[in-house]
Amino acid sequence: MTRKTGETDALRKALRRADTSLLLSAVTLFQASAMLLLTLRTQPIDIQSLLLAFAMPAVTLLCVKGLSKFWKIDRVVLTLVLFLCSVSVVTLTAISRASVTPLTQALYIAAGLVGLVAGILFIRLLRHWNRWKILFMVLSVGFIALPLAIGETKFGAKNWITVVPDLVTIQPSEFVKISLMVVLAACLSERQSRAMMVLSILFGAALCGVLLLERDLGALLLYFLTTVILFFLATSNGWLSLAGLGAGAAGAVGAYFLFDLVKERVSIWRNPWADAADSGYQLIQSLIAIGSGGLLGMGLGLGMPRMIPLYHSDFVFAAICEQFGMVFALCLLAVYALIILRGISIAMSCRDGFHALLAFGIVTILGLQTLLIVGGNIRLIPLTGVTLPFIASGGSSMVSCLTGVGMLLGISSLNADRDEDDVRRASWQEGECG
Amino acid sequence: MRELRRNMRLIGVLLVCLFVGVGGWFGYTTWTQGARWAMSSSNTRLNRAKNSVVMGSITDRDGYPLAWTDEEGQRRYSNDFAIRLALSQTVGDTLSMSGTGVQTFFASTLVGMSGSVIDRTWQWLSGETARGDDIQLTVDARLSGVVAQNFPSGYTGAVVVINYKTGEILAPVSMPEYDPGNMATSVPDTAYFNRCLQGRYTPGSTFKIVTLAAALENLPGALSHAFTCSGSREFGNGAVTCLSGTKAHGQMDLRSAFAESCNVSFATLSYELGQNALLRTAEAFGFNDDFTFSDVVLYASSFPKDIGSVSELAWSGVGQGRVLVTPLHMAMIAGAVANGGVMMEPKLVKQITGSTGLPRLRATPGAYRRVMSASTASIIGDYMEDVVTYGTGTRARIQGYTVCGKTGSAETSDDKSVETNAWFVGYLAEEEYPYAVAVVLEKAGSGGNLAATLAAKALMEAIELVG
Repeated sequence: MTRKTGETDALRKALRRADTSLLLSAVTLFQASAMLLLTLRTQPIDIQSLLLAFAMPAVTLLCVKGLSKFWKIDRVVLTLVLFLCSVSVVTLTAISRASVTPLTQALYIAAGLVGLVAGILFIRLLRHWNRWKILFMVLSVGFIALPLAIGETKFGAKNWITVVPDLVTIQPSEFVKISLMVVLAACLSERQSRAMMVLSILFGAALCGVLLLERDLGALLLYFLTTVILFFLATSNGWLSLAGLGAGAAGAVGAYFLFDLVKERVSIWRNPWADAADSGYQLIQSLIAIGSGGLLGMGLGLGMPRMIPLYHSDFVFAAICEQFGMVFALCLLAVYALIILRGISIAMSCRDGFHALLAFGIVTILGLQTLLIVGGNIRLIPLTGVTLPFIASGGSSMVSCLTGVGMLLGISSLNADRDEDDVRRASWQEGECG
Repeated sequence: MRELRRNMRLIGVLLVCLFVGVGGWFGYTTWTQGARWAMSSSNTRLNRAKNSVVMGSITDRDGYPLAWTDEEGQRRYSNDFAIRLALSQTVGDTLSMSGTGVQTFFASTLVGMSGSVIDRTWQWLSGETARGDDIQLTVDARLSGVVAQNFPSGYTGAVVVINYKTGEILAPVSMPEYDPGNMATSVPDTAYFNRCLQGRYTPGSTFKIVTLAAALENLPGALSHAFTCSGSREFGNGAVTCLSGTKAHGQMDLRSAFAESCNVSFATLSYELGQNALLRTAEAFGFNDDFTFSDVVLYASSFPKDIGSVSELAWSGVGQGRVLVTPLHMAMIAGAVANGGVMMEPKLVKQITGSTGLPRLRATPGAYRRVMSASTASIIGDYMEDVVTYGTGTRARIQGYTVCGKTGSAETSDDKSVETNAWFVGYLAEEEYPYAVAVVLEKAGSGGNLAATLAAKALMEAIELVG
């Protein structure tokens, strides 16, 4: 009897959610102080930065407090993700040539937050969406293939479509990323159905094929790795997964010989200094920026990060290193790792295969994306054109990443609801016995 | 579900390990190479900063000013013409013509970009014109000037004097030189090139120090090895000859073979050692290493890894063929013999002072590595003393001091009418004056003549001038 009461207490204790007020205060303090510093940088003061200095902490508080009032979401993940988003705005304010860049980025984040709520709702409301997955597949393939028909070529890849000329362009591969996760999780969690499993792999392969045609090799790599990982998680079939990875490696070698772009990227990676003024220019400027930043950085708004080409997208990590220094950049990596750990623990506490796979898939894709682009910036691996989640400037990536986080949060809230039910049932039983 | 959880744990751990790995690599490379990246000549932001920042000054080890910025923002150099020219490549110029010069390699320090956050914030708040950091070098301006003035006229080459206990570079002189204060005038060919650091020369017989070390550490009974020199010996399909040409060295032991610099004997030694042992010792001495010293850009010395024939092996042992070495590295090798087998890391910067006057970096001596055992070093030291007392390097003698050394006459062409490069490397075996020197004079004939004389002069002046 007493033993049972103790158990319930322990359950209750575990349920009491981590106190995130300290973390939240730290994040809002960072946002406000960084933006105020940037406000005072110019004479007269920068009104837009001043507004953002108040808006960002307000939105952060509102999101974390408000959303956790409705649903029992994982507040640590949400706070950390919002922190990364604010690093994005702060960095872009500090380094952009045009003041409109950070503003658009803030608007993208706002749009992303809508996506985040949609992601939560999607998980919580659509319990029987399973029936739609074939349609989902067809739509995804159609959508991702759209740039082939009406797209534009940017940086050697044809993966953009223009919605409103000169204003709104979107990158379908960013959005399809989420639907790939959903479809894979749904098909692979039905363990009995071999047909579904084969279908899901074919779906992954079809997407990869389209990306190959679009020469969006960074996204291709990302899609491929996540598909293999999810396949392994669901089937525990190590040999087949390794065979898949082997085939991927063979494909990569093939790509090296087939595409000049890949060949060039690899040769730049091997020795960027050989052609410092031309092909190696980007990477060398990235390294120089990282080196100039040193341990503690040049200081916010100081330094010359605009010397790096693509300082706001592909090389934003290098720009952050120059501004904030190596220590901060390492902390940033730790924040990503923390989000991933938190996400893994959400996936582990799911009782339902679909949710577990989906949560893990989202975390994996965010993690791999971060590793690929950071590794490319610091010359650990050849550069691939994937975005740094939550930080790189760009709407498609921001919205899709935040939607993914929304789904993760939705799953965490389902877990919390279920745990609470358990406790209620346990204490009710206890009461009955007593 | 249990299986799924197990798999998730596996992949999750893998993912986190990848993060730790990327973070570790990032931290490590940035920490070790970041400064090097920032100092790259492709760093266009430095040129921009030069326009808005007052560049810091450069002084010698006693505080004698070598380069500074005057009130009008003009870069000025020492008024002593000899010193200004002697250290031209070392100090460098604002146009970065001399790529390894301090004004290029340490540009980010001089313009304050690598300065402390406190300094930068203070300048930002006070609204003062930003000022870069000051650098005090380890070089001795007067010594460098005197060495340059004693450099035989009409020749090109390099002289490096170092302190073999601390690794400090005292006098790096590369000829020809140029005037960094007057870049408009025409400059002699290759004057921007710092031969001390960038000149990869055939070492000739000075490499016998390394071959000797390899023999002492690998061949049992090397000390009692006897040789017979008939002036020439066949190795495979080529012959190694002694430069003394007309007369053969005859019967000799290891000690006299070193003192008389007998090629036939040392070719025999390297043949007996085999290419692996010789390569191993050469690499222990720093050959084939991409030196990444914090203070100087020292070009790599090389010893062939893929010796194709017996004759090449024999010639490599006497420092010919594809063996290449920089003068500073050669001085470090002589210094390692003097320093009981430990080669010190070369230091060029004594101290960096921030714009607020607080010293930020004080050089502390560090060992590059132990390149041979102390007993090997002491035997080589004795042999090098013989070279100066009765061997090929008698002109390097200094009254009242013990000088040890090795001469070299490096062939650079198959054409025998082309004069050899004259080498002398050596050191003072004096506790109070731990100085090592390397001299190379291009196309100056035998190392025992002009090079040995100049080395003695440089060491003598070092005793006199360096405090």
